[in-house]
Amino acid sequence: MTPDTRSRLPNTRFVPLAWRNLLASKRRFARSVAGIGFAVLLMLVQLGFERGFFDASLGMVRELDGDLFIMRATKYRFGSEDPFPARDLEPARKIAGVAGIVPLYASWERFFWKDPTGNNAYLVQVFAFDPDHPVFLLPELQAQSERLKQADAVIVDRRARRFLGMASGARETEINGRIVQIVGDYALGPDFMSNGTVMMSERSFAGFLSGNPANVARLPVEFGIIKLRPGAEAPAVQQALRAALPDEVRVLTKPELVAFERDFQADLSSAGPIFWMGTIVGFVVGMLISYQVIYTDLSDQLAQYATLKGMGYGNGYLVGVVFQQAAFSAVAAFVPAWLLCLVVYRVIGELALLPLHMTLSQTVISFGLTLGMCLVSASLAIRRVIAVDPAEIF
Amino acid sequence: MDASDPCLPLLTGPPVIRAEGVNFYYGEGEARFQVLFDIGLEVAPGQLVVMTGPSGSGKTTLLTLVGALRSLQEGRIEVLGHDISKLDRAGLVRVRRDIGFIFQLHNLFEALSAYENVKMALQLGGKLSAAEMRERGVAILERLGLGDRISHKPRALSGGQRQRVAIARALANRPRLVLADEPTAALDQDSTRNVIRMFKELTVEDGTAILMVTHDHRIIELADRLVHMVDGRVVSDVVLNDALRICEFLKGIDAFKALTPTELTHVAERMAKRHYMPGEVVIREGESGHELFLISEGEVKVERSDHEVARLGPGDFFGELALLSGDPRNATVSAVNPVETYVLGEADFHAAIGASANFRDQLRRVYFLRH
Repeated sequence: MTPDTRSRLPNTRFVPLAWRNLLASKRRFARSVAGIGFAVLLMLVQLGFERGFFDASLGMVRELDGDLFIMRATKYRFGSEDPFPARDLEPARKIAGVAGIVPLYASWERFFWKDPTGNNAYLVQVFAFDPDHPVFLLPELQAQSERLKQADAVIVDRRARRFLGMASGARETEINGRIVQIVGDYALGPDFMSNGTVMMSERSFAGFLSGNPANVARLPVEFGIIKLRPGAEAPAVQQALRAALPDEVRVLTKPELVAFERDFQADLSSAGPIFWMGTIVGFVVGMLISYQVIYTDLSDQLAQYATLKGMGYGNGYLVGVVFQQAAFSAVAAFVPAWLLCLVVYRVIGELALLPLHMTLSQTVISFGLTLGMCLVSASLAIRRVIAVDPAEIF
Repeated sequence: MDASDPCLPLLTGPPVIRAEGVNFYYGEGEARFQVLFDIGLEVAPGQLVVMTGPSGSGKTTLLTLVGALRSLQEGRIEVLGHDISKLDRAGLVRVRRDIGFIFQLHNLFEALSAYENVKMALQLGGKLSAAEMRERGVAILERLGLGDRISHKPRALSGGQRQRVAIARALANRPRLVLADEPTAALDQDSTRNVIRMFKELTVEDGTAILMVTHDHRIIELADRLVHMVDGRVVSDVVLNDALRICEFLKGIDAFKALTPTELTHVAERMAKRHYMPGEVVIREGESGHELFLISEGEVKVERSDHEVARLGPGDFFGELALLSGDPRNATVSAVNPVETYVLGEADFHAAIGASANFRDQLRRVYFLRH
């Protein structure tokens, strides 16, 4: 042995046993990374779905352009059709701090959109407003809203579900058997309740529902959207509105409206729990795989661990090695699974028209779960090492 | 043995292992059966002690008890000065660190290189720097003929090489006690010779005590002691090393009591064993004499001018006069029955008495008493 080879020996203080064990067999390492990584991917996709679901559900709410929102007190979610008389809005106009109130009309139950590329008609979500006050933040919609002044003109969501044919480029189709002109489009995407959204003027809306566009004033309103004067405090105005308005309506700030919808999605719909179930299933699958990997590795090396005990290593060292190995395998599996998930998000996002994005919180949560499942399974498997009797190997 | 025991080759010190009245049982209640019966065993530093016996005789159990791998049930065992019956679990673990274990199976980590496997032992005490560990680890592997295999994983090594790595791991911390179970079972001829030589060097040069279960004759030939166990009992405990045996023998003879342990060992190591058949003449009157004889077994008669003047038995010596005076032999000595003698040559004899005036006086006193 030359001094050269001697100097090439690792110069660390301690033998990195856990790391060496992990990499000992390339095949076993690949199996462990693939197995645990699969579970990680499962969890990440579930977490992504959950967030995508909420993002989709809340997408339209977030696009509303207002500071305070008046809606019927019995309304239990954003998308439940429960309008109130327009006159209930009148007292609000006199409240200090209110710059203006714009009514938003909506329907989720009464408009059937005919696929311009076929013959089927589908229920769609419809919003109607005064084209001079487009109440949505969507820049595309604001730019095109002038066109809605034309009778029976609609602007549609080109990211609506494909079977609606909204992105087909057709200029004309029917709603409830009546010809409408498609005068523009914007991109938002469907949620889990509506397949597509149609925007029209309040006059067109009145025409559809009462046969006469002039009946706008008598139409019940879904939301009263309030803009505040500069300097006005939303909570104070909200208090004043509550006092002035009849009990049949309630007033929410925008964050409250978003929370209102999220709470519905999380609690009243079963979507939230379903995704968490999915995440837990991923966690359990990962734990089983990880347990299997660690258990097999420990079983294969039981004599070696017993030898270490015989040499004078305490249980603490052995436990440390096993936990280190579990933590290393968690990291080793997490990184490729996380990268693969970016691809999966993109593919599924396009196919399902879901807003899937990797976020810091998904990354942190899934990594925490991955580390957790590996350490839990290690703590289950480690009893074997603690129980091993060094006297047995002589 | 006490600290002044002259028969610890080149070394003094308390025994490395001292077992007394050790009983051991497996199982509990009805199924309980005894595997060790009243074992007493002492092993001094520098001794290579081989344990033999049929399987199930309790050798391995004894080895695990001495190695602090099991808790003692009855009796007392001191290992390296620790009374292991008084140690808690952590204490047992610490004692193990001072013992080199060589198991029948090498039990190397497949994931670690030969050097790293050895380093697992070196890093244990936490006292060595990375550089010191590297020096020691490489040195011991080189000494075992693995200099070109230091970075190899066990999979890339032959069975014998793996076992040598395991031996290197056991010896890397220069333990004062090595416990081994059939350490050469997996070794080829050359490796075995190499390993045995190393064991012997360790006992002689470092004073390492080795307690080993083996049936390998190449080791037994070099063993200082052979302990034979049957059915959980030590049925024989034989000193094989001539020097050791002579030393034990000399201890019991008055004339040699004047010698310091080192001198005694020195004398013992220079004595050769020689056997005589009944009637055979050992020395003849009138011939010049160059050797001192010490009878270990059997009886001789001393005749002067064909008249029997004395009979000598075990523990007696003769032939010293010619060496002291330079005169020819003044008597004929012949064996009465089969006789075993230890023979000391003239030069060594003079060296011994030159080294110790006491010894010379003792010899003279014995001589004058006899005549």
